[in-house]
Amino acid sequence: MQVTRRVFTSGLAIGLAAPAVLRGASAQGGTIKIGQVVPITGPAAEAGKYAMAGAKLALEKVNKAGGVLGKQLEIVTEDDQTTNPGAVLAFSKLATNADISAFIGSIRSTQMHAMAPDILKNAKPTMFGGTDPTLTKLGNPWLFRCRPNDGYSGRVIATFGLDELKLKKWGIVHSTDAFGTNGAKALAEALEKAGVKPAIIQGYSNQSQDFTPVVLALKQAGIDVLGSYFTFENDLGIFARQLRQLGVTAPWVGSPSIVNVTALKLAGPALYNTYGVADYAEDSSPEAKAYADAYRAVMKVDPDNQSSWCYDAVSLLATAINKAGKTDPQAVREAMLSIKGYKGAEGEYNFDQNGDGLHGYNIVQNKSGKIAFAKHIEFKD
Amino acid sequence: MDLVLQLLFTGIGIGSVYALVALGFVLIFRATNVVNFAQGEFSMVAAFLMVIFAVDLEWPYWLSFLLALAGMALYGVIFNLGVYYPLRHRTYLPVIISTIGASILVANTMLALYGPQPQVLSPVFETPGFNVGPVYLDSQYLLIIVVTMVLVAFQYWFFEHTLLGKKLQATSQDKEMASLLGIPVATMIMITFVYSAVLGGLAGILVAPILFVSIQMGGTIALKAFAATIIGGFGDVAGAIIGGLALGVIETFGAAYISVPYKDGFAFLVLVLFLVFRPQGLFGERVAEKA
Repeated sequence: MQVTRRVFTSGLAIGLAAPAVLRGASAQGGTIKIGQVVPITGPAAEAGKYAMAGAKLALEKVNKAGGVLGKQLEIVTEDDQTTNPGAVLAFSKLATNADISAFIGSIRSTQMHAMAPDILKNAKPTMFGGTDPTLTKLGNPWLFRCRPNDGYSGRVIATFGLDELKLKKWGIVHSTDAFGTNGAKALAEALEKAGVKPAIIQGYSNQSQDFTPVVLALKQAGIDVLGSYFTFENDLGIFARQLRQLGVTAPWVGSPSIVNVTALKLAGPALYNTYGVADYAEDSSPEAKAYADAYRAVMKVDPDNQSSWCYDAVSLLATAINKAGKTDPQAVREAMLSIKGYKGAEGEYNFDQNGDGLHGYNIVQNKSGKIAFAKHIEFKD
Repeated sequence: MDLVLQLLFTGIGIGSVYALVALGFVLIFRATNVVNFAQGEFSMVAAFLMVIFAVDLEWPYWLSFLLALAGMALYGVIFNLGVYYPLRHRTYLPVIISTIGASILVANTMLALYGPQPQVLSPVFETPGFNVGPVYLDSQYLLIIVVTMVLVAFQYWFFEHTLLGKKLQATSQDKEMASLLGIPVATMIMITFVYSAVLGGLAGILVAPILFVSIQMGGTIALKAFAATIIGGFGDVAGAIIGGLALGVIETFGAAYISVPYKDGFAFLVLVLFLVFRPQGLFGERVAEKA
C-alpha cells in the first residue's frame, strides 16, 4: 500500500490518540482507585502495617458487597517513610495518577500539615487521622477527619472526671510540646467552663529521666484527680511508677497514650485502674466489636486506632462515591458532608462543614492490664 | 524537710548515673586526649545486650549481667580497633568525628534491630523500694548509689596501688615517656577503652530498669555526663564524680523549686557558668600551669 500524506496523518492521529482512548476505556471497565499515604519504612512502619490492614479489610468488605458504582475498589499505597518530606513526596506521586479518585492521608498531624497545600491543589477528597484541631480549620475543603480531634479529648477528660468520678481538685501534667500544651489548655478550659480551677498545672519536657519534683508538687497540692497529656510512652512509664511509689493514689484520666500497648508494657501495674480517652474501643459498639473480630482473624493481634480509622475511611469513601453516583470530586465531597449517623468502627460519623466526622471519645479503663470500655461521651458541637 | 530529703535522694541517684558515664569520658580522655562522643552508646548497647540475654533468651539475671559486661569488654576492643586505633597518629579532630560516626552507626543499628519502641528490663531486686521515715528509697537508685561508691573506691585502689593502674596513669600522662619506659602504650589504651566500655555499660544496665531501654537513652545520659565532666574538670576522676552528683542534685532541686520544664536548662546553665568563670572546672588545672 502506498502511504499517502492523508493515510500518514490519520495514522499519526490514531497513534497519538490511542493511549488516551485506551486509558479511558480501561477506566470505564476497570477499578475505582483510592491512594493511601502510609509509613512502610521508618519508625512508624509497624503502625503502617496496621493502617494498611485496616484499609484492606474495608476494601474486601466493599468489594464483596458489589464494589463502588458497579466496579471493584482498589487501593494504591505509597510509602511516606514516617517523615514530612516523605509524606509530601508520596502524595505528589499518587496525585499524578489521574485514575485515583480519593485519598487516605496520615494519622500524624504534622504530616497532614505538610501535605495540606498539595491536597488543596489536587482538589480531591482526602481522609485523614491526625487529631490537631486546626487541620479542619485551614479552609481546605478536601480534608475529612476520621478520628475525633484533640479539642474533644480535653472536654471528655473534664466531663468524665467531674460528672462520673465527681472529683473537683484537679492536677494536670502535660508535655511542653505542641500536643501536650494544647491538650492541657483544652482540659483546663473545659474545667474552668464548669467552674473548676485546676489546683496545679505542671509541664515537663519530653525525655525527662525523673519526675520526682512533679510528683511531689502534685502531692503538695493535695489533688484528688489527675488529668494528663503525655507524648512519649517512656515518660509516661517513668512518671506512673514514681507517682505510685511516692504515694499519690488519686484517680487518673489520661490522653490516648495512657492506654496504648507500649505504655501498658512499660508501666505495668503502675497504670492499673487508670482511665484513658480512646477513639477506638472494642466494646464501644457492635460495629467496633465486629471490626475487632475481623481484624483479629487476619492480623492475630488486637486492633487499635492505627487501623480502625483507615477501615472507616475506605468504607466512608465507598459510601460517599456510591451516594454521589460518580467519582467527580465535588460531588463526592458533598455526598461525604451529607453523611449522617454512619456507624463505623471508631464511632458514629456525622460530618460537619469543617470535615470533622466524629464528635466524641470513649473512656476506657485499665483493669489489671486489660483495656475495658467504660463510657462514650458525645458532644453535639 | 521531707521534701528536701526526697529530692536529695533522687538527685544523688540520678547524679550517680551521670558520674558513672562521666568516669568513662574522663578515662578515655586521659588516655587519648580525645572526647569519646560514643560514650552514651556504650550504656545503650549494654542495656540492649541485657534485653537480649535476660528478656529475649530468658537467661538468669546474673548470668546475663556478666555476659553483657563481657560483651561490653569485647565491644571496647572492637571500638578501639575500629574507631580509635587507625587514627591514633592523627590530630584529635578526625578521632572525635570518628567517635560521632560510630555513635550514629550503633544507634541506627539498634533502631533497625529493635525498632523505636522502648524495651522493659526488670529491676535487680523484687522489692521496688521502701520507706525510711517519710522518704521513699527506690531500691534501684539505692543500688546505683552503692555501685558508684564501690567503683570510686575500686578505681582509687586500682590506679594508685596496682602496677597496671600505674602503667595506665603513666600512659595517660605522657605516652612517649611511657613507651620509652617499656610500657606497651597501644595495649594500655586498649585496656582503657575496654574499662570505659564496661563502666558505661554498667551505668546503662543499672539505669535501664528506671529509664527503660531505648536508642535515645545513651544520648540523654551522655550529654549530662559530658556537662558533669566539664564541671568537675576535664580529665579529673574525682571531678567527674563530684560533677555528676552535683549536676543530679542541682537539676532535681531546680526542677522542684524553680521550674520543671527548664530542668535540663539548669544543668546546662551551670555548665555555661563554669565555662565562663572557671573553664578548668572544679578540680582541673589550668593548661598554662600544667605546661
